[in-house]
Amino acid sequence: MPSKNPLPPKENAFFKRILKCYEQKHYKSGLKFAKQILSNPKYAEHGETMAMKGLTLNCLGRKEEAYDFVRRGLRNDLTSHVCWHVYGLLQRSDRKYDEAIKCYRNALKWDKDNLQILRDLSLLQIQMRDLEGYRETRYQLLALRPGQRASWIGYAMAYHLLKDYDMCLKILEEFRKTQTPKPVYDYEHSELLLYQNMVMQEAGMNIEAMEHLNTFDKQIVDRLYVQETMAQLYNQLNQSDKAAKIFRDLINRNPENWAYYRGYERALHLEESPEERMQMYKSIMEEFPHSTMPKRLPLDFTTDDVFRELIDEYLKKSLRKGVPPSFVSIKSVYKDLWKVKTIEDLVLSYVENLKQTGKFDSKGDVEPATALLWAYYFLAQHYDYLNNMEKAFEYIDLGIEHTPLLIELYVLKAKIYKHAGDMDEAVRLMDEAQSLDTADRYINCKCAKYMLRANLIQEAADMCSKFTREGISAVENLNEMQCMWFQTECAFAYKRLGKWGDALKKCHEIDRHFTEIIEDQFDFHTYCMRKMTLRSYVGLLRLEDSLRGHPFYSRIAHLAIEIYLHLHDHPLTDTDHENDVNSENLSPSELKKLKRKQRKAQKKAEIEREKLKAEQEKRDQNKNKAADGELDGPKEEELIPDKLARADDPLEHAIHFLKPLQMLIPQCIETHVKAYKIYSRKGKLLLMLQSIKRGVLANRSDPRFHICLIHFLQYVKDQGELSEPAKTVINLEMKNIYQEKTALQLNEEFLASNSDSLEHRAAGARMMYKLDKSRQEEAMSLATSLDSNLKGVTIKNCIEVLEALCRGDLGKCEQEALEYQTRCHKIFPHATAFIIPAQASTNCSGTDSPTEQILVNGSALKNES
Amino acid sequence: MATNDTQVEEAEVEDNDAESELKGKKVAKHDAGAADLEKVTDYEEEKEIASQDIQDAMRVVSDRQNKEAKAKHEKEKELSKVKINKDDVDYIVQEMEISRTRAEHVLREYKGNVVEALVFLTN
Repeated sequence: MPSKNPLPPKENAFFKRILKCYEQKHYKSGLKFAKQILSNPKYAEHGETMAMKGLTLNCLGRKEEAYDFVRRGLRNDLTSHVCWHVYGLLQRSDRKYDEAIKCYRNALKWDKDNLQILRDLSLLQIQMRDLEGYRETRYQLLALRPGQRASWIGYAMAYHLLKDYDMCLKILEEFRKTQTPKPVYDYEHSELLLYQNMVMQEAGMNIEAMEHLNTFDKQIVDRLYVQETMAQLYNQLNQSDKAAKIFRDLINRNPENWAYYRGYERALHLEESPEERMQMYKSIMEEFPHSTMPKRLPLDFTTDDVFRELIDEYLKKSLRKGVPPSFVSIKSVYKDLWKVKTIEDLVLSYVENLKQTGKFDSKGDVEPATALLWAYYFLAQHYDYLNNMEKAFEYIDLGIEHTPLLIELYVLKAKIYKHAGDMDEAVRLMDEAQSLDTADRYINCKCAKYMLRANLIQEAADMCSKFTREGISAVENLNEMQCMWFQTECAFAYKRLGKWGDALKKCHEIDRHFTEIIEDQFDFHTYCMRKMTLRSYVGLLRLEDSLRGHPFYSRIAHLAIEIYLHLHDHPLTDTDHENDVNSENLSPSELKKLKRKQRKAQKKAEIEREKLKAEQEKRDQNKNKAADGELDGPKEEELIPDKLARADDPLEHAIHFLKPLQMLIPQCIETHVKAYKIYSRKGKLLLMLQSIKRGVLANRSDPRFHICLIHFLQYVKDQGELSEPAKTVINLEMKNIYQEKTALQLNEEFLASNSDSLEHRAAGARMMYKLDKSRQEEAMSLATSLDSNLKGVTIKNCIEVLEALCRGDLGKCEQEALEYQTRCHKIFPHATAFIIPAQASTNCSGTDSPTEQILVNGSALKNES
Repeated sequence: MATNDTQVEEAEVEDNDAESELKGKKVAKHDAGAADLEKVTDYEEEKEIASQDIQDAMRVVSDRQNKEAKAKHEKEKELSKVKINKDDVDYIVQEMEISRTRAEHVLREYKGNVVEALVFLTN
C-alpha cells in the first residue's frame, strides 16, 4: 500500500476496522474508529482515513459532507489508490459512471493489480458498454486469477459481445476442458455448454453446434431447449427427416405451440401443397381432438369449400361453448375478402336458424340458448372491424336484450362507441360494465383507460385507487409501480387539455422508469456470471441495449417532443396560467376574485407539496435506516409541471427525448420527421440534412416526411450563398436527394403517385397552397375530398385535416371548414369531433370564434389509439 | 437449524405477499427480494481450477491479447499522425452537436477531409 503517510500500527489497526465496518455496513462504528485516528493531531489530515470517513457518511445519506471529506482526503494523499478508489465508489453511487471509471483508472495507476478495483472497473465498463475496455480489464483479471471460473467466463463474454466468435469459442473450449461436471444434474455446467452452443449458432456454425449438442447431450439438463434447437438446426442443415421426427415429438409434447407446426411443415416441405398440408393437420386433429391449434392454423391457407367447412366447424364450436375471444383469434383471416364474406354469411345464417329452430343449421342438435347470444356478440365485433357501425350497434343491442347483465357485451359496446368517435358514451358504458363487477381488476383498468381517453383524469385516478395501496394517492402509487400505460394515457389527456407542464411531467416520469430499468441491470453483472445463467445474461444485456425502442418509450418521446416544439413556438408568458379558465369573459372584479382564488389554491398546493416532501424524506430516512444506506442512486430532482412548461431550452429537452429514437428506431419515419422539426427550429442546416437523408432511407413517400422534404428544399434556396464546407456538402447531397427537381415538380409527382390516399392528398394540398397561394381552391378540394374510394378516410385523419383547415394551413377558410365538418359528421355521425355546437352558426359572423370552437372540439376528442 | 429458520421466514414472507395484494403493503415483499439478492451477491466464488490445466489455456489467450494490443496501438498511432484543422473540428462540433473527441476521431478517419467527414456524419 504505497501511501505517503503510513499510519503507525495502532492507528493502522483502527483503519483496518473502518474498512471492515464499511464492508459489514456498521457505519456508525466505522465513524467512531475514524474519529479515533483523526482526533490524534498528528493524523488529523490523514487522507485515506478522511476518504473512508466520507464514504461511510455517504452511506448514511450525508451526501454533502461525504463529498467534502472524500475530496479533502484525496487532496491530502493523491498517490493513494484507496483515496482514488473511494472517490470512484462515491461517484458510482451517484451514477456518474464516466467519472467513476476515471477514478478507478487513477487508482490502478498506484496499484495496478488490485483485484477489487479491477472488478469494480469491469462492472462499470460493461454497464457503460465500453466493450474494448471491458475486454482489457477482464484480461487482467484472468491473468491475475486464472483459477477462478468467473475470470474465464467474463473474458470469453467480452469477445462474444464484440462479435469475435472465434476467440470467444476458443476461450470457452479451453475453459470447458478444465471442468469436470458433477455426475448428476449439474445445472451450472449445463448452462455453460448451452452458452457455448448459443455462441456457435450466432457465429453461423450450425454443423459444429449440432455436433456439440450431440456430444454433450447427456450433460445438458434443459431438455426442451435441446430438442427445439436440434429440430431447428436439422431444418437449417436440410436434414428434414430428423427435423420432422423431433418436431412431431414436440407437437406431442405441446400441441398448442404454433411454432412447432411451422417447423414441422418446413421439415415435411409442405408449403407448396395445401392438400398434403391439410392432411397433416387432419391426422394431428384426430390424435388431439381437444387442441385448437390444428383447427385454427389451416384457416390461414385453405380456400373455397375446404375453408368453408373448417370455419363452419370452428365457429360452431366456439359459439356453442361461448368463447369470447373467438373473433380475435380469427381476425388475421380477415385479410381475405372472400373469407370475410363466407364468415359473415355463415354467422348470419346461424342467427336465423337459431332463432327459428334453436339449431345452427338443418342438421345437428338443438344448441344451448347462449349460442345465439355469442353469435350476436361475434357479429357485432365483425361489423365493428369492418367499420359498419350501424350494424355493429344493432347486433350488440340484440345481445344486450338477450342477456342484459353480461359484462363482455358492455365492454364491446363501449369499444364500438370508441371506434365511432364518441368517447363520452364509451366511458359511460365502460363504467356500467365496471359496476357489474367491481372486484375485477381488468375491467377496472379498462374503465380507467377509457376515462383518460375522455380526459377525465381525476375520475380515472379514483377508479384506479380501488386497487392501489392505501394511504398514498393512486397517481403516486402507480408511478412507484412503474405503471406506464396509465401514465402514458395521462400524458395524452393532459396534452389534449393544454396542460403542457403536467403532460411533460408524465413523460419525464416514464423516461425515468426506463433509466431505472437500465440502472437495475447493475446487480446482474456479478450475479449472472456467478450463477452461470449466461444465456439469459446476454439476453438481458441485449434487451437493455434496445430498451428505449419499446413503444412505451417512443410514444411518450414523440409526445414530449411535440409539446416542447409547441412550447418553443408559443412560449408561456408570465401571466399565462395553464389551467386558466376563459378569463376574457370575466369582469375585472370577477377576475380579481379568480386570481385570488388561484393564488390561494397555489399556496395550498405548495404547502401540500412541502408536506408530502417532508413525509417522503422521513420515509426515505426510515428506508435508509432499514437498508442501512443501500447505495440507492442520487436523489432525483422533483418534477414540477409549471417549471417544465417554462423550460428555458425546450429544444434541448426535445433532443433529449429524440436521441434514443434516432439510435433505436431509425426505420420509423416519425423519428426523422421529429428530428427535422427540431433542427429546423434550431437552424442547424447539416442536422436538417441528416434527418432528410435518414428519412429518405426510411420511407420517402410518407406524407409527414413529404412536408419536410419540400420545406428543406425551400429552406436551402432561401439561405442564398452558403459558406464552405456546408456548401459543398449540401450541393452534393441535394443532387442525390432531389435530382434537381423543383419543389413544385416534387409536389405534383407526390400527388400523382398517391392520389388515392387521404393523408397524402392533405399533405400535398398543404404544400401546393404554400408554394402558390393562388391555387387555394384546388388545394382545398384536394384536401377535403371524402370520396368513398379514398384510402384512409378515418376519424383520426379527418380530424387532422379539419385542424389543418382551422390552423389556416390552406389559407382563410372558415366556411369551408364548417362545411367539411358537416360532411364528416354525415360519414361519422357518432363522432363528437364533428358535431357542430348549436351556437356555432350564430357565431359564424364573428371573427374566428367558430374555428376556435372546432379546434377545441376536435382536439379534445381526438382518438389516440 | 439455520435452513429451517429461513424456510419458516420464507413461508411467512409468502403469507405476507398474499396479504399485501389485498392491503397493498408491498414493502415487505420488496425487502425480502432485496435481502435474497444480497445473500447471493455476498457469496464469494472460491472454487479454484487445478493449476496444471490452466497453463495451456492461458497460453492461447495471452498470445492473442498481445497481438490485439499491438494492433490497436498501431491504429491509434496512425490516426494520431493525421493532421487535422482545428477550425474544422470546431465547425463539426458546432454544426453536428457531437463531442469533440468524436469529431476529431471521425475527421482523422477521413484523413482530415471535412466534406467527407460531414457526409459520413449526416448519414
